[in-house]
This record gives sequence, C-alpha cells and structure tokens, in this order.
Amino acid sequence: MSNPLLVFWALFGRRDPVSRVPSRVHIESSSQASSTIFLVMRRMRTPLITLIVIFSISAVGLTLIPGVGPDGQAARISLFESFYFMSYTATTIGFGELPWPFTPAQRLWVTFSIYLSVIGWAYAIGSLLTLLQDRSFRQALALRRFTRKVARLREPFLLLAGYGRAGELLAKDFDALGQQLVVIDESSDRVDALDLGSYHSDIPGLVADAADPHHLSAAGLDHPFCAGVLALTNHDETNLAVTMTAALLRPDLPVVSRTVSAPIAERMHAFGTPTVVNPFDRFGEHLRLALNAPASYQLLTWLEAGPGAELPGRGRPPTEGRWVICGYGRFGREVTADLRAGGLDVTIIEPAERGESESGVIVGDASEPRVLARADLASAVGLVAGTDNDTTNLSMLAAARRLNPQLFLAARQNRPTSAALFEAMRLDALLVPTEVVAHEVYAQISTPMLWRFIQEMPARGDQWAADLIQRLRDNCGRQLPALWKVKLDGEQAPAIGGWLAEGRVVLGDLVRSPEDRERRLRVVPLLLLRDGQAVLTPDGETVLARDDELLFAGQGSERRELESTLVVDSTAAYVLFDQHIPSSWIWRKLSRKNPTTSAVADRGGTTTHHR
Amino acid sequence: MNLEKVIFGFFVLLAATLNFGFFIGDIANPAVHNIYELFAALAVSLIATVLKFGDRTQIGAVHLATSLVADLQLVAASVVWIWAEEISADGIDAGSTASVVSLSGGALLANLVSVVLLVTETVTFHRG
Repeated sequence: MSNPLLVFWALFGRRDPVSRVPSRVHIESSSQASSTIFLVMRRMRTPLITLIVIFSISAVGLTLIPGVGPDGQAARISLFESFYFMSYTATTIGFGELPWPFTPAQRLWVTFSIYLSVIGWAYAIGSLLTLLQDRSFRQALALRRFTRKVARLREPFLLLAGYGRAGELLAKDFDALGQQLVVIDESSDRVDALDLGSYHSDIPGLVADAADPHHLSAAGLDHPFCAGVLALTNHDETNLAVTMTAALLRPDLPVVSRTVSAPIAERMHAFGTPTVVNPFDRFGEHLRLALNAPASYQLLTWLEAGPGAELPGRGRPPTEGRWVICGYGRFGREVTADLRAGGLDVTIIEPAERGESESGVIVGDASEPRVLARADLASAVGLVAGTDNDTTNLSMLAAARRLNPQLFLAARQNRPTSAALFEAMRLDALLVPTEVVAHEVYAQISTPMLWRFIQEMPARGDQWAADLIQRLRDNCGRQLPALWKVKLDGEQAPAIGGWLAEGRVVLGDLVRSPEDRERRLRVVPLLLLRDGQAVLTPDGETVLARDDELLFAGQGSERRELESTLVVDSTAAYVLFDQHIPSSWIWRKLSRKNPTTSAVADRGGTTTHHR
Repeated sequence: MNLEKVIFGFFVLLAATLNFGFFIGDIANPAVHNIYELFAALAVSLIATVLKFGDRTQIGAVHLATSLVADLQLVAASVVWIWAEEISADGIDAGSTASVVSLSGGALLANLVSVVLLVTETVTFHRG
C-alpha cells in the first residue's frame, strides 16, 4: 500500500520554508578575536628574537674557534655542523654526535653557549605557554571556534540568551523537537553544563555578555537561518538590551523576552513587537484560572509542560472566601490584583513598612507565629507564600498548615535546590518562575497554533476542558502526546487536494486508519485554523478546505499513518471513500471505471512527479 | 623619535645590506661570496620577520609577506650551500655557487621591496 519513500518525502517536504532575510546591519564580530591573536604575536617578538640571536652567536662562535681535525691538522667545523650541534644541544636533546673531539677552547665556547641557549629556549617556550594559558587569548580562541560553528549552521536555529534554569528546560524541550539552538550565557559554569548536557544535536555555547551586540552577532543574530531570539537571562537589563538589539538589527525575527518588572516590559514593547513573559503576572493569571476553571487550568499546564509530560492532578481550590498573601513585592502585587479582580478578599502580610498604607495590610514578619495569628488564618481559605526567600516561605507554609489544615496553599519557589522541599510539602499550587517561563516560551515558539489554542481555550469553559482531557486520555494515555500540525496544501497533502477543492473531505473520514477504515486513528484534532479563524476541537462532521491548518495530538505511529493518507493517492481513496484504486499510474489509466478517476487524473502530473 | 621605529628600520636595512654584500660579485666564483655573510643575512632577516609580527595595518601585512619571501629564499640558498659542501661529491663548484647566489639575489629583491615600503611609509607619514 503506502510507498515508504513518499512518506519520507512528505516528512522532509513538511518543513516550513525558511525565510532567508538578508541581514540589514552587519556587525564585525571577529575583529575582537583577531586583535587578541595579533597581540599574542606581538608579545612573542622578544622571545623569538632572543632565540635567533642566541643561536646565531653560538653557531658562528663555534665555527670560529680553531679545532683539531682527525688527521691532527688544525680544522674548523663548518657552519652547518655547528648549527646542527647547537640545535641538538640547545633543545637539550644532546645526541653527542660530533665530527671529531673538541679542543679545550671549543669546549669552553660550548659550555658558554649551552647555558645561553637553554635560557633562551626556556624563555621562549615559557612565554609561549604563558600566552596559551592567557585568559583573554583562550576566550578569543573560543569565540572564533564558536563563530565558525554558528556560521556553518544550515538549519533554522533559535538564539537563546541566558542558559539558566529556564533556558535549560527549554533547551531540553526544543532538542526533543529537533530544533537547533545557539546558546550565549555569561557564566562559564552554565556553558560547561551545556556541554555536559546530553543533547541530540551539538549546541554551540559561548561565554559572553549577551547585552553586547557583537556577541549576539557572533551567536548568529544576522545569520540567515536565525529563526528567533529568546532573552531569558536573570537580569532584566540584559534581556532589554537583547530585545532592543534584535528589534533594531533584525526586525523580522520573533523575540521572546522574560522580565519580572512591568516598567521593563513597557520599555521592551517600545521596540517592535516582542513577546514579553512575566512569570509573576502569568502565575496570577494561572491562579485565577485555577480558581474559576480547574479543568481548564489542568489542561493548560499539561499542554504547556512539553511532550511526554504526565497529566497533572486537578486541584479543587476554594472559589470564595478570604485569601492571605505573604510578601507584597512584585509577585505579591500581581497575585493580589488577580485575586481581587476575581472578586476575592485579600489580606496582605508585608515585612517592611511601605509608604502608602493600603487596607488589609498587616506589617510584620510573616514567619513569626504572632504575625500569622493576626491574619486570622482560621477563617481564611487560602494562603500564598510569596516572599523571595525559600526558607521563610516554607516555615510560613508549615505554620499555616498547623493553624488551619484546610487551607489552600500556594507558594513561590525561588531556588532550584529547594525543589525537593516544596515537593515534600505537597502544596496545592507552586510557582517556579523559571519553569513558568520555560513552559510559556515553549508554548509560544514550538507551534504557534498551540499558543493560539491556549489563548482561546479558557473562553470555552470548564466542562469542555474536562471533556477534552478525558478524550486525550482515552486516545493517547496519561502522557502528553506529541502535538503536530498539518497544512492541507499541495505540499503536505497532495493526495486529497482535488477532493478538498470539491468539499468532499470530512475530518471524521480523514482520521480513519489506512489499515482498516473502520478503525479511527487515535489522534485528537485540537485546532482548525482557516483564514485566521480558529475552531477549537473541530468535530468529525467538519468539512475541510484547501490550506486549512490542523493541530493534532497523537502518538508518532498514528501521525505516520495520517501522513500516508495525505500523501498516497490509493490510501486516500480507501480511507476517505472506501474505494480501491491502483497505486501505479499506468494501472490507474487503464482502469477508468472508477468514479473518482477524474479527480485523480487531474492531478496525474503532480503525482508522477512525486514518484 | 621612536625607539621601536629605529630598531625596526635598522634590521630591515641591515637585512638588505648584508644580503647585497653576499650577492655582489661574480655569480660563479665561490671566493667572492662569504658563507658567514649569508648566515648573517639569514639571521638578520629572521629577526626582521619577527619584528614585523602583529602589525594589523595593510602595509604591515605586505612587510611581513616580503620578509617571509626573503627568509624562504635565504633558507633555500643555505640548504643548497650545505648540500654542495657537505653532501655532494664535487664540493663547492661554479654551478652550486651560482645557485646559492641567484637564490640570495631573489631574497635581495624582496629585501629591496621591504626597504622601499619602509621609505614610502616614512615619506607618507604625517604628524597630526
């Protein structure tokens, strides 16, 4: 039945064509590296000249000293022999091969020149080794190697600035998807971690400040295959600088930037249209979603967690009552605003006295039992431990749980090392800013359709989300299946093009198995995109049209079966209309009694082209 | 006055003069070509080459190239001399002397280009 070569062809043809944009501004990035190498050459001048002078003096001197030949006659050794002798003596090899025995005068000169030349060699080799150890020289070499590696990339890659916790999670996800990355990070430890990490592809990494446009350029910002820029360093200023550089030098590239500060986000938006991810802001929104629609929240976290993720549990947070928020920093403010917008009462505990006095703010250290008691936890329904200190957060949570075991506990985890402790606390909601960033960026960059789905999903309500989760579980198991998109155009779906134009292709028929059309493929269509309009979970009756884009969830084997339907004419005819048409073009020409022959014959040219 | 420029000019010029001193004379007569002069020319030429390391300007690059050519020619001349004197049965004869001297003549040309470059650089140098 299906020709494996065709499936191959479809797999490779499916890749999105890369827009080759010529770089607008070219930054000379190698000048820094070459200047260091010139500096090294300059520094080697003195040792090398010393060596040449010492050699010349020793060799000439040895030939000038009169010696005695084998026949007892006075004889001088030649310049060549003297040079040969000095070469093996000065380099401390010491063959001891002489044309004839030296006279005392010659021995005196040789003694002198041995000391001289050994010092010369030691000086020259010592200088060279020092230079090789030199930090700036090694950095220059590393930069050159990195620049060459990036320049040789011949596939679309993402430029990842900042390989922290979030960067690492993302790199793992994208590597699993086969997406090439280029990493730039300030810390050499992190770049070493990149080398040690077990990735499928070879990810070039550079230790450098990403805020420097030269470094970004070396990392491939003006490379025609650069497909996007991710600014995920821990410093807002650096992220702003990266966003700025990318927007000014490559306005055509998508930029995703992380920040925890609203003013910085504003400044980022001043440059082009970057996607700004604020983990605190997102956590507040997620918390609100979790309160209003637990199933939607469960679906959201599952889809964002990347391929192979386990289905997270569904929380049952209290929908009314009073919340207590400890820590009124940037995080606390975002969460408070979101909770208040959701119509909930909020009591705030803040250790430091602030200028403005707000209602419901208790000033004091929340880790002290006395202060917690003032917040009257017994009558509260939820507690958010949101300070930037993990120890404080943990002790607060433990105290709160003792006071009121029914509390819904949410917390912010600051350091990755505390992960085990927070897990042991068995919290109802946990914010790990780096993970939020990683999941968010993954959802936005991996497939734009997934992001569209996530944005439109909350509007569909909780029951719909619960049904969809059930459907996904029935079809694909508890692990998140691969998400992939199909565009029904001449390239990805050549076999059904004619029927699409006639409006005869129904989604429910398309997802039948090529082995046995009575069996449905275990895939779930998540989204149908037509002319910019999105339809979530299109049903089996949906009539498909040309250039429709579909986002499917399903295992790889099911995906391959669907792809063979889209590419192979005979499979498509069987799957869609239960008709058997010959696979070869000649037999198809001969058997004209088939009612669908007209549609097939119309595309005869393209079909033979694929074979 | 820049001491670095003095040393640089000294060695470039000395390489050319030594080379010229060895080259001048009947091309096939070993008596008028002193081997020590060839050795000195080679050593000074090597020093001049090292002095030209690490100059990033265009003229610096040409300087280095001429010096490398001179070194190559002089090393070849020395090897021919050694072969003739130590290895071949005939010793230093008119033919081998001619080879050595003509090779050093090539080096002389490269050294002259070096000197011309040096002079050009000095003449076109404008202060301020």
